[in-house]
Amino acid sequence: MIEFVIFFFFAAVAVIFALVVILHRNPVVGALSLVASLFALAVMYVLLDAPFLAALQVIVYAGAIMVLFLFVIMLLNLSHMHEEPTRPIQQFLGFTSTAGFAIALVYYLSKYAVFKILPPGRFMSDAKFIGASLFESYIFPFEMVSILLLAAIVGALLLSGRSAAQRAKLGVEANS
Amino acid sequence: VIPTHWFLILSGILFSIGVCGVLTRKNGITIFMSIELMVNAVNLTFLAYARQFHQLHGLIFVFFVMAIAAAEAAVGLAIFLSLYHHRHTIDVDEANLMHW
Repeated sequence: MIEFVIFFFFAAVAVIFALVVILHRNPVVGALSLVASLFALAVMYVLLDAPFLAALQVIVYAGAIMVLFLFVIMLLNLSHMHEEPTRPIQQFLGFTSTAGFAIALVYYLSKYAVFKILPPGRFMSDAKFIGASLFESYIFPFEMVSILLLAAIVGALLLSGRSAAQRAKLGVEANS
Repeated sequence: VIPTHWFLILSGILFSIGVCGVLTRKNGITIFMSIELMVNAVNLTFLAYARQFHQLHGLIFVFFVMAIAAAEAAVGLAIFLSLYHHRHTIDVDEANLMHW
């Protein structure tokens, strides 16, 4: 019984804060609401017998990725920037098509993807099993992900740093 | 125990909210956060099916999705920083040239 209360409470929290993310004009409020929504999803992961991934969700998303987002928002000073609303026809089409999509998705999920029973026994999914699986059958994708992350670091540095020509231009402007 | 399809329906709702954010907003950072919402909705689906079928593969996939979302966030935010340096805006309607 208590599980159902927790599920509905945190499902409502996740959905409401997700709506705040897409409806609020200030990106700082949006980023903080996204943190709240991701925390609520971490509670869902605990309910799904995956406490290791719940911890990972809080550390990686709420800790690392959201700090990156907030850092960029503060760096660009976006909270003062006025965002022009999209055109009314665009708003209308966006909201109606997503409403239709959501209704169809929920309808077909509740019609065809209903699972009456779970397999017996508790699902064992702590760090030990995940680690063993990761370093035995998934070792090749694991190494690929490490290379991908390295490529992302190099790419981010290359993109966000100023080029030599820009630096020369800025130096000229600063000197003159 | 909470049935699996409730988690699937919650995931569907969150995914639709993310789609709506991408379609109706112009601020690049907000669009990016909507994409993160969609990624998390898919993660929830993976975990729901992992528990339903008692398979570890779903959890491993969530692990990889998180790693790739981190890489994506780093590169995407670097692109927005670069765009801001050139255009002094991150309105995606203004970013209509491949090379500037």
